[in-house]
Amino acid sequence: MSPALLIALRFLGARKRAMLMSLTGIVFGVAFFVITQAQTAGFEAYFIKTILGVNGMVRIEDRIQSTRAMTATEGSSFAIAVEGSVKYIPGVQHAKAVTDALKGFPEVTAASPVIRGNATLIANFREYDTKPYGIDLGTFLNVSDLETQIIDGSMKAFGESPYALIVGSRIAKRMNLQVGDSVLLDGAGEPQRFRVAAVFETGIDQVDRERVYLHLPAIRTLLNKPTGASFIQLNLLDPELAPALAPRIQEALGHSTMAWQEREKTWLQVFSVLRISSALTISTIIFISGLGMFNTLVMIVVDKTREIAILRSMGYTRADISRIFMLQGGIVVALGVTLGCAAAALGTYTLSHIPIRIRGIFASDHFVVLWDPWHYVAAAVIATVVVLIASYFPSRRAARLEPGAVIRGSSS
Amino acid sequence: MSLLRVEDLHRHLGEGDTRCHALRGVSFTIEPGRTYAIAGHSGSGKSTLLYLIGLLDIPDAGSIWVGDRETSRLTDDERTAVRNEHMGFVFQFHFLLKEFTALENVMLPMRKLGRLSEEAMRAKAADLLGAVGLGDKTRRLGTQLSGGEQQRVAIARALANDPGLILADEPTGNLDHANADRVFALLSDIAHQRGQALLMVSHNPELAHRCDHVFRMQDGVILP
Ligand SMILES: Nc1ncnc2c1ncn2[C@@H]1O[C@H](COP(=O)(O)OP(=O)(O)OP(=O)(O)O)[C@@H](O)[C@H]1O
Ligand SMILES: [Mg+2]
Repeated sequence: MSPALLIALRFLGARKRAMLMSLTGIVFGVAFFVITQAQTAGFEAYFIKTILGVNGMVRIEDRIQSTRAMTATEGSSFAIAVEGSVKYIPGVQHAKAVTDALKGFPEVTAASPVIRGNATLIANFREYDTKPYGIDLGTFLNVSDLETQIIDGSMKAFGESPYALIVGSRIAKRMNLQVGDSVLLDGAGEPQRFRVAAVFETGIDQVDRERVYLHLPAIRTLLNKPTGASFIQLNLLDPELAPALAPRIQEALGHSTMAWQEREKTWLQVFSVLRISSALTISTIIFISGLGMFNTLVMIVVDKTREIAILRSMGYTRADISRIFMLQGGIVVALGVTLGCAAAALGTYTLSHIPIRIRGIFASDHFVVLWDPWHYVAAAVIATVVVLIASYFPSRRAARLEPGAVIRGSSS
Repeated sequence: MSLLRVEDLHRHLGEGDTRCHALRGVSFTIEPGRTYAIAGHSGSGKSTLLYLIGLLDIPDAGSIWVGDRETSRLTDDERTAVRNEHMGFVFQFHFLLKEFTALENVMLPMRKLGRLSEEAMRAKAADLLGAVGLGDKTRRLGTQLSGGEQQRVAIARALANDPGLILADEPTGNLDHANADRVFALLSDIAHQRGQALLMVSHNPELAHRCDHVFRMQDGVILP
């Protein structure tokens, strides 16, 4: 063991209680930092997983047309929005052509056309406004997690009947619907009779409250839309590819294309603000421990002024003295980070088993956590930087002591 | 070649109104194996001289030769290394590190020098403590020793790296008559036996006279 380390350890022992306070602060700071990050990041990741499973990674929607070409569709009922020199024509008229063109994008692993509309659901003598989604079952399961969202009934029953319906959990509850019940949907055309094949729950309130899934051919008659699609939902190799890919598809296909990051910007911002603010809040615990550490080290320097002088007189250099005090900080932070990370892992594990019912933006029955080594690294870096800065000034002060002056002062 | 030679040392202390010319041209030489006392009235500059020789302070003018090396203008780290290897200090107060046992205190200068193994350092420290009559108290903390015993530990510590020169500033100033006598006898015996030089500031004329040579100081100069 180096003499500096030996002396550092003994000096630490001289202020055991104050050092234990700083150590405890660092342990708690590191642990809380990691736990809050694991939790906020966990909820964020779970939210992303949920919305990707519900609304997909990328959606190709309205056709974009420059105003120059507007004359072609002028007067048509489709032309509604004019934005600058660009006009949007709702929906994807030539879904097949678009889907074929997507073969030129190897990042796209699946594409599914969807028709979206409005219809009134009538059952048990009550009416309820819904947003029917006409899906192509074969491809839609590749661009969503619909299959895992089923909480009652079965996907198979839906697949077997052309007039089957999957209703959102909150619709089912409000309308008192059971699997097997018969309902009427009233869209743009004639009201049609459907049978409830399954109930789904995404946890996203708005979706569970208004969405019903039916087969594409059925919605065409229901809404009187013989051709086209409202949008095409895509699945990619990696959700992170979406922001770069969406503009390329939009450029190439002439359809407004939006990545999930863009679509869910508001919520993603809420999550990141939450995460940053909790990181800052918790960091104050570490900062305060750093202040305590600073205080304690200054006290030790004052306390040990004569000892420092005698060490200098017997041959310890300024750097040695500085090292003795930096090492005290180093020992405390190393111990604090180690214990803090262990406590964090334990706390995160425990938290993930605490029951809590969450519905609204996703569905979970317990705390959601994300195990991310970077949370531990970040906490360790913050604690280390804080403590090393807190140790630097006392150590510099100790190193600057003039042994002659100190000894002269205490002899006379 | 002499062990240590100082030439025309000058030192001013203090700032502004309190500034005073504490050393006004001091020169002498020190030979190995001999004991020297610095005597003089309070404020005559004895401690100032001792700290300069111990390289704990820098003279305003003059030179300090340790062997054939002029040391007064070395860097702080170089002077520190010279102290570590060639000088041992005993002050009026013992300055033991109270978190360390007597043995560990004596080992501190050896650890810094780093020439011996842990085992050899232990054995040597135990020997030195034996030589100052504390062979049975090596494991005591400083706080568990009497004032005289603590001062003897400090002497053992000053001897740890076999320095050529032992510098002592009123090493007995804090001790009663019997202990003072014992500590002085120890220092001068060890110096004679080991061929080390002892330079000791003392107010005690009796002890000063038992040294091989006495420098009398007055107002910052050594009287002839
Ligand atoms: N920091 C200082 N500022 C100004 N003058 C000082 C300072 N320290 C010491 N002096 C003066 O320098 C002179 C020499 O002091 P020094 O400590 O060397 O005396 P000394 O001979 O060791 O005295 P004593 O026997 O009391 O220890 C004294 O006149 C003292 O007043
Ligand atoms: Mg003095």
